[in-house]
Amino acid sequence: MGRAGSQPTPHPGGSTSHGNGAITASVSFAETAASMEWSDCWLAPTTVPPDLAREVRQKTGGVTPPWATHLASVPWVVRATARFVERRVAYMPVELWDLIGLVVSQDNSCRFCYGATRAILSVLGYQDDQIDRLGRDVHLADLTPPQRVALEFARKVSHANPRPTSADRAALVAAGLSAPAIGEIAYTAVASVFCNKVCTFFALRPIPLERWVQNPFFRLVRPFAAHALRGTHVAPVPIPAPGPCGDVVGALGDAPGAATIRATIDDALASPVLPRRTKLLMLAAIGRALGCERSEREAREVLAGEGLAPTDVDDILANLGSPRLDRRDALLVPFARETVRYRNRVIQDRVRELAQVLSLDEAIEAAGIASLANAVARLSVLLETC
Amino acid sequence: MLILVTALVAAAAVLGAYAWGVRARAREVERRLTRASQELESLQQAFSRFAPSEVVESIIAQGISTRSETKDVTVLFADLKGFTSLAETLEPERLVAILNGWFATMGEVIAAHRGHLAKFVGDGFLVLFGALEPNPWQTNDAVHAALAMRAALAAYNQRLAAQGLPTLAAGIGIHRGPVVAGLLGNAALMEYGVIGRSVNVASRVEGLTRVHDTDILVTDAARAHLDGRFRLVPKGASEVKGIPEPVTTFAVEGFDGPRL
Repeated sequence: MGRAGSQPTPHPGGSTSHGNGAITASVSFAETAASMEWSDCWLAPTTVPPDLAREVRQKTGGVTPPWATHLASVPWVVRATARFVERRVAYMPVELWDLIGLVVSQDNSCRFCYGATRAILSVLGYQDDQIDRLGRDVHLADLTPPQRVALEFARKVSHANPRPTSADRAALVAAGLSAPAIGEIAYTAVASVFCNKVCTFFALRPIPLERWVQNPFFRLVRPFAAHALRGTHVAPVPIPAPGPCGDVVGALGDAPGAATIRATIDDALASPVLPRRTKLLMLAAIGRALGCERSEREAREVLAGEGLAPTDVDDILANLGSPRLDRRDALLVPFARETVRYRNRVIQDRVRELAQVLSLDEAIEAAGIASLANAVARLSVLLETC
Repeated sequence: MLILVTALVAAAAVLGAYAWGVRARAREVERRLTRASQELESLQQAFSRFAPSEVVESIIAQGISTRSETKDVTVLFADLKGFTSLAETLEPERLVAILNGWFATMGEVIAAHRGHLAKFVGDGFLVLFGALEPNPWQTNDAVHAALAMRAALAAYNQRLAAQGLPTLAAGIGIHRGPVVAGLLGNAALMEYGVIGRSVNVASRVEGLTRVHDTDILVTDAARAHLDGRFRLVPKGASEVKGIPEPVTTFAVEGFDGPRL
């Protein structure tokens, strides 16, 4: 079922064991990372509640990453990020997870996620020059045809300009990928989109994993680390119960990603920091910005249940504002639109301003909602092309 | 026997040298390929600022084509008022410095409002909203950009006045309508541009700012897409050159809503 891609072809020497290549690659990595504009992180780390910390460590291989300590005051954002970094696929070739993570993070100029994913690929045995080629052009990288079309599709899902078409899906089918595998490729891309946005909005300071990976001691233990990191397929999960954005979640069928998205949407809407209405308006605005009628329609249906008249929603979405909005919504609805495409420094400044005008928790939740809405609206491409 | 061994050693040495040479050439080819790929990526990133990403990818994959498409965009045309007479009285260096300051100041404002600076026309320029990427709020963005340009020009004029230099006045015309977008030019010079009546209308409406003694005018077609919180003053219908029917315009006074 959808196991069309072959295993990855990492060179056995690991990432840094090859003379000149390592020098070239480190320069290239530094150049790539430097090309991603990045502000200083202003968000102070806090203590992660023990239960949440345990949950995060279960999904991240025993570590508590900076996004957990910096965003801990809004637990669902931490929980969602932990879920989205966990490799849980049932149909897609597992090795695609990190390959997609790398190209999407690079496209989204997320210095944090790019560095982390690159380090993971190094641990898995990819050489630096292989990773560089992958980042530069998938056509030049050592990839199988299914891997190549999968990465191109994932990039289109992430770009959403234009959104992938049925022709893109046909290319995946022709490469031997099944419908559930295609769903998981799109899911992997939007999982990366979510993490990229959360880390970029708060300019989280990248972890110097590259340096650790190049450490001679680490090179000795690398094979064991690779074994621990290399994911395996998990069993399909029961199809999630209906709920908001049920069509998009349903498009993933019984893939584990469906349960992840379902749980994350439900957690996000249940969180008490921002009103449910605010979150749904943000989802609708992002759906409209991405040309995703379905996301907008689903948000409208739930907003009707919240007592917001369709004409009011029309007015708000037509202008990203309305005299009927309170001060907070008047800030967050236009902010939602800005999270779709941005320059890093501009959006990082914007989030910082938001945190000064609103409370810190409101700013974190707004950033989380915007990231989730961007992921869901991009994932809805499955309903248009499948 | 010795001759045979010597011959074998010599042959092995020659083959080894040959293999070494092939390996070195392969490394060199790979190095050049990597460099070419890096240059292509840089070019692709640079071109993405001048044309929609799908156009750039299409050029890379298939070469230059005459493929064009009709798009609904908002066109903003801005021009300096009275700059020609100012140009006759100022030293060339000062003139160029003032003009470049105006372009730089406005360029930042336009980029901040998701506009695409498509063309410089003398001391004026043409800006497109919704041309490079889909933008449901393109007309609001254009008018917000125009208001921000007004504020930025006021700040720039203060700096000019502080240096004892003449201040500037600008006219801005905004229209929304269909344009034909594509790669225009010849083999020597080509650009992603738009043509069509909508471009002419925006330019003519900018000219009307002199007639109505105002700085920002929008057409009725643009007004139909505008947030009701913009304060507009009707200026009636005017005959303009090259457009058969009179063009109804509205002066933009301000915006009664929050901006973070």
